Amino acid sequence: MSRFRIALGIRAQLLLVLMVFLTIPWLGYEYVRELESFLRDAQQKTLAGTAQAVATALHDRPRLFDLPDAARESLTAQRLLDGAPEGEAAPLLLRSAGPTVTPSAEIGQIIQGLSRTTARIWVIDRRLDVLARAGSLKRPPLPETDAPDSAIPRLWHWVERETLHPLYALILRQPTDDFVDELAAHVAMPAREVDGALSGILTIDRRPTGDGKAVVVSAAHPIWVGDQVKGAVIVEETTNAVLAERNRAFERLFNIVLAALLVGSVALTLYASRLTARIRRLRDQAEAAIDLQGRIRGALSPSAAGDEIGDLSRSFSSVVTRLSQYASYQQNMASRLSHELRTPVAVVRSSLDNLRAATLPDDARVYMERAQQGLTRLTHILTRMTEATRLEESLGDAQRERFDLAAVVTGCVDGYRAAYPRHEFQLRLPSGPLPVDGAPELVAQLLDKLIANAIEFGMPGTPVVVALERDDHSVSLRVENEGAPLPAGMHERLFDSMVSIRAEQKNDEPHLGLGLYIVRLIAEFHRGRVRAADRVQGDGVAVSLVLPLAA
Amino acid sequence: MSRRIAIVEDEPAIRANYADALGKQGYEVATYASRGDALAALRTRLPDLALIDIGLGDEIDGGFALVRELRSLSESLPIIFLSARDSDFDVVAGLRLGADDYLTKDVSLPHLSARIAALFRRSDLLAAPHAVEEVIERGPLKLDLKRLTAYWGGRRVDLTLTEFWMVHTLAKHPGHVKDRDSLMRDASIVVDDSTITSHVKRIRRKFAALDPAFDCIATVYGMGYRWSATES
Repeated sequence: MSRFRIALGIRAQLLLVLMVFLTIPWLGYEYVRELESFLRDAQQKTLAGTAQAVATALHDRPRLFDLPDAARESLTAQRLLDGAPEGEAAPLLLRSAGPTVTPSAEIGQIIQGLSRTTARIWVIDRRLDVLARAGSLKRPPLPETDAPDSAIPRLWHWVERETLHPLYALILRQPTDDFVDELAAHVAMPAREVDGALSGILTIDRRPTGDGKAVVVSAAHPIWVGDQVKGAVIVEETTNAVLAERNRAFERLFNIVLAALLVGSVALTLYASRLTARIRRLRDQAEAAIDLQGRIRGALSPSAAGDEIGDLSRSFSSVVTRLSQYASYQQNMASRLSHELRTPVAVVRSSLDNLRAATLPDDARVYMERAQQGLTRLTHILTRMTEATRLEESLGDAQRERFDLAAVVTGCVDGYRAAYPRHEFQLRLPSGPLPVDGAPELVAQLLDKLIANAIEFGMPGTPVVVALERDDHSVSLRVENEGAPLPAGMHERLFDSMVSIRAEQKNDEPHLGLGLYIVRLIAEFHRGRVRAADRVQGDGVAVSLVLPLAA
Repeated sequence: MSRRIAIVEDEPAIRANYADALGKQGYEVATYASRGDALAALRTRLPDLALIDIGLGDEIDGGFALVRELRSLSESLPIIFLSARDSDFDVVAGLRLGADDYLTKDVSLPHLSARIAALFRRSDLLAAPHAVEEVIERGPLKLDLKRLTAYWGGRRVDLTLTEFWMVHTLAKHPGHVKDRDSLMRDASIVVDDSTITSHVKRIRRKFAALDPAFDCIATVYGMGYRWSATES
């Protein structure tokens, strides 16, 4: 047992278990990376294909590569100076060179049709002079997509933009067109693929841009004139398209997983809530079935559900039923026992009575008297034992009437003064009648028990106080005596059947612990409550009964 | 001619003890252990009085069934239930079947024979056309002490012996509070307080059946009961 325990509800536990599914995005990430490498291969192949196609169009056309020196000069100059804007799919040579550079224009026308928006095609000759160039690495800016009109897509759009995209940006490198293309104007020489191509081999290479913001893949294909490599076609493209594709795939996967997780956790939470609600209901029922004193208050209605909780509920219910059967067995034991004992007692009694009628020697009479006394006591005990059961039976069909509690208590106290002449009784009454619905003779019986206890436990010579107090809706009847306080922990149990706090028998009166149980039965019959407590002064015990006043 | 008493009781020791005691007092006693035996014998010849236990062997209510059958044979046969059972339910059920009295086995033999004697006296005098009357009259109440019968406003109140004696104790000294002990003593019963309470309740109910305004038996809480002679 660890000292620090974290109390997690079922819902929290289930949600923790749900965390396992967070590995799904990771698996997805791996999968998307696989996809990315596949796409890269495909891109390289495409670029190689494009380069080959362009080269094929230029093969064996030596005329195109016979460039006049003047043009070449200007071309070289332009290569040094050029700051021409990117993105024009036109031979640059046309700008600075005169009309003599038609071969380049021709090449430009050829490659113009082949260029794609994000691919850049160069044609160079053996001296690395650029004969033509088309296309751009950067894609033309797209018009901003409008937010959708209806609410839910717009919300989704907002969620995507505000929460998901920043999140993805943390994980994934976003393709950007905001890179510095240092080759916008001239081919970086010597590049590996160019060397390769000029030596007659189709070469593919990839390199980061100078600022590292993008990766450029380029494929170079030689252009043959006869057996000679006259130049090369270089097709360049950033990997941005692949990246974008990868990111899109990843986002879609992530969105789906997130949605599944969200739906899953909501469903699980609901399910767990239902489970916990059922368990809590069962707990409440179980707690309500047994009161603070451990008495069975009522049966527990078994659930009809076929699952384990229903099972638990049914087994709880049967446990409570068995417990209550046992409790009632215990409660009725006194009565049953007394009933069983009655017959043998009757045998003894009738035998003694017969004996008494016979002629006996005098010394035998003494023993007979003693036997008779013992029998009388035994009978008394038996009568006491059945008292509670008889009372329970009579409560069932007792008739309620409205009576004045003050009058009943006054009468009873008068009776006690006559019955216990050696004890002093103090009676405190509020003015006016105290109407109560119930059975006055039962209240008198209750008071008998309380007074008998007060006298027994009271210090000799001290008065027994009987006090009635009323408030708006109830009246309290208190019987106090001076003497020892109640044993700790017994305050509530005192009113249970066969619970007695007497250490030993003080006198001939039998004590079965039924007196206060009878008090409780009668109090409950009157919809009242009874409790025992030490007196505030700490020098005795007060038992108080609170009864509702009749309206 | 000695009177014949039938004892139906399944407990042999009690049966024998009662038989001995009653035999010594000059009664002729016939004892039966079960309902079947008793019924077979009593059909051929009815006793003068029957003392019947409720639980007879395996038949927990055998005594009730037997009394029902005996009552169909004779309306006037005095019957006393003598049982270990003392619940109100059993008492009421027994008396409703037409028993003249219901005693628990706590009763002593002298008390039992006093009752038997009283019941015989009552049945004798009811049969006799006329006798010297010994009567207590309290307003509408008239108690015939010889016949052990009570009348309210001239109409007979069907009281058991126990009830009659309790009414007698109360009515003898109107206004005096009789506590439970003296009621028990006079009625020759040993019972607890709640039994006295239910006896009083039954008595009130029987009088109230004749006169709904009956309220002569007053409860003095904590002390007992008294006959209040305030009625007109």
